[in-house]
Amino acid sequence: MESVYLFALNFTWQIAALALLALGLAMVFGQLKIMNMAHGEFVMMGAYSWVLVAQMGWPLVLAVPVCVLGVGAIAFVVERVLVRHLYARPFDSLLATWALSIIIRECVELSFGRQFYNVPLPLQGSLDFGIVSYPAYRILVMVCVLALFAALWFYYRNSRLGLRLRAMVENPNLAQAHGINTTRLSTSVFVLGCVFAGLAGLILAPTLSVYPSMGIDALIRSFFALIIGGLGSLEGLAIGTTIVSGMQSGLSALFSQTVGYLGVLVLAVIFIWRRPSGLYNPR
Amino acid sequence: MKTFMKLLSVTVGGLMISTVAQAQTKIGVLVPDSGPGGLFGPSARQAAELAAQDINAAGGIGGEPIELVFADVGVPPAQAVQSVQRLWRGQGVEGFVGMHDSAVRAALTGQFKGEVPYVYTAVYEGGECAASTYVTGETPAQQLDPVIPWLTENKGASKWYLIGNDYNWPRDTNAVAKGYIADSGGEIVGEEYVPLGTSDFDASLVRIKGSGADAILVTLVGGDSVGFNIAYSAFGLPEQALRVGTLIEENTLAGIGAANAAGLYSSMGYFANLPNDAAAAYAARISDTFGDQAAQPNGLGQSVYDGLVLLAAMGNAAGSMDAAAIAGVADGTSFSSPRGSATLDGNHVAQSVYLADGSSGSFEVVASFDSVPHGVACN
Repeated sequence: MESVYLFALNFTWQIAALALLALGLAMVFGQLKIMNMAHGEFVMMGAYSWVLVAQMGWPLVLAVPVCVLGVGAIAFVVERVLVRHLYARPFDSLLATWALSIIIRECVELSFGRQFYNVPLPLQGSLDFGIVSYPAYRILVMVCVLALFAALWFYYRNSRLGLRLRAMVENPNLAQAHGINTTRLSTSVFVLGCVFAGLAGLILAPTLSVYPSMGIDALIRSFFALIIGGLGSLEGLAIGTTIVSGMQSGLSALFSQTVGYLGVLVLAVIFIWRRPSGLYNPR
Repeated sequence: MKTFMKLLSVTVGGLMISTVAQAQTKIGVLVPDSGPGGLFGPSARQAAELAAQDINAAGGIGGEPIELVFADVGVPPAQAVQSVQRLWRGQGVEGFVGMHDSAVRAALTGQFKGEVPYVYTAVYEGGECAASTYVTGETPAQQLDPVIPWLTENKGASKWYLIGNDYNWPRDTNAVAKGYIADSGGEIVGEEYVPLGTSDFDASLVRIKGSGADAILVTLVGGDSVGFNIAYSAFGLPEQALRVGTLIEENTLAGIGAANAAGLYSSMGYFANLPNDAAAAYAARISDTFGDQAAQPNGLGQSVYDGLVLLAAMGNAAGSMDAAAIAGVADGTSFSSPRGSATLDGNHVAQSVYLADGSSGSFEVVASFDSVPHGVACN
C-alpha cells in the first residue's frame, strides 16, 4: 500500500518539477516561436545562483534576487543582440541559441570549474502522512508550483498583458497597427521566459546534481512535454507534462528506467509524426 | 641594441632548451580534457607533473630526464587514436600512460599492437590482457573482495541491492560482487541498471525501500551518482541501508553534500586524506605547486602518478623504453606512491585498497587492505 501512495506522490512531484522546467520554454517557444536551445543553460544558471551566493559569502536567501536579476539581465542582452533578429526564422534561431548554449556552458565552466556543487536543501526532513512520509521540500515545491500555475492562468486570461500577448501571437502586424509595441512585448516575453527557467533551476537545484551541463536534460524533457501537450497555452503545458511524467514514472515503476525513457521517446516520435500540434491547441 | 641583445639571448636560450629537449625521453600522458571525464583532466595533469618531477629528481629513465607530452583523450575513440598516433609516430613518444575510458583503451591497444609500453591507470572492469599493456587501476576484485566481508562483519550488511549505470563497468563489477556477497553469506535483493544521464531515481528508490535491502552497491557514475545519493537521502533511506560505491571520489562526494552522505562508503585505492605521510606530502605538494589552480586530488586524477612511476621503474629495470625489453622484466616490478606500495603481478598490480566513510562530507579511511590481488587471469 505504501508504494502506491509513494508512486502517487512521486508522480505529482514529477509533474510539478517538469511543469516548472518547461514553463519558460513554453513561453518563448509557444509565444515567440523561438526554439530556445539555450533554455537548459538558463535553468543551469539559476541553479548556479546558489553557488555564486555561497562563494561570495552572502546570505543564501540572496540567491533569489541574484537569480532573477542576473538571469534577467543576461536574457535581456541575448534578446537584444541575438534573438531579436531571428523572430520568424525558426531554423536560424535554433542554431543561434544552440551556439549560445555552448557559450554559456563554457563560461560557467571557466568561472566555476567542471566539478559538482551541492546545494543544501532549504527545508530539511520529511512530512509524515501516516501511511507514507515524503520529503518536505518536495511538498513545498509542489504546492508552490500549483499556486504559480493557478496565478499565471488567471493573470493570462484577465490582464491587459495577456490580451496584448494573445493579439500579438494571433496577428503581429494587426497588433502593431493597433498601437501594441510588439518589439517591447517580445523582449518582455523572452526575458520573462528565461527568468522562469532560471527560477526553475534555483528551485530544483537542491534536488539535483549541479554541474555545467545539467541543463541538457531539462531542455530535452521540456521539449517532449511541449510537443505532446501542444504549444501556446498553459492547458497544453499541463497536459504535456502530465503525460510525459506519467509515462516516465509509470513505466519506470512497472519495468525499468530504460523502458520509461523509451516510452517517452516513442510517444514524442508518434506525436511529431501524427499530431505535430500536440493534444491541446486552442487555435 | 638592447632589444637586439634581448632577442639574441632569447634565441640562444631557446636553442639551448631545444638541445636539452633532444636528450629527453618523451612520455605521452593521455588524459580527458573534455567530455564526461573532463572533470578529471586538471587533477590528472597535475599528478603527471609531480610524477615527472619525482622521476627526474631520481635520474629519469636510463639516466635521461623525461619530458611529458599531453593529449586529450576525452573524445571518441577514433579521434583519440589520431592524437595518440601523432604523439607516437610524429613526435617520437616512447611510452604512454593513459587515464580514460575502456573504449579508448581498446582502440589504443589495437593500434599499439604491443610495440610501445602503455600503462592504463583508471578504475576499470578488469580483463585487459593486451601485450605491453600494464594496468595500475583498481579492478572490481580489488575494490570488493576485502570490502564486502568487512561490511558484512562490521556493519551487518547482508541484503544487497545493486544499482548502476547501464554499461559494462557496472555490470562486470556486479557480476564479481555477487560472488563475494554469496561467499560472505549475504543475498541479492535487487539489481538494476539505469541509462547514463538519468536524473530521476524515484522509481528505483521505491524499489529499494520495498526490497528490505540493508546495503546498496552503487556503480553509478558522475552526475548520476550525485543525483541518486541526494534523492536517496531525501527519502530517509540512510536509516535503512548503508551505501558503498566503487567510483565515489572527492568531487562526487562534494556534489552529494555532507547532509546526504550518512552511511556512504567508498572503496578505492586512493583518497586525498589517506592516513600516510606520502599521501599528506602529495596533497601538500599539489596545493604548493599549483596554488589557486590546484585541482582537488582524487583517485582517478592521482592514478596518473602511479602510472608514470611504474613506467619509469620498468624502463629503468629494462635499461630502455623498448617494449620487448620491458615486457621481459616487467613482472614483479615494485613501486611506491601516495597510495602505498604496489607490485606488478602479470600485467596488473597487487595494491592497497582503502574503505572510506564519507558521512562527514569528507572521506575518513575506516579500513585498509594491503597487497590486494587483482583477480585478472591472462592467457
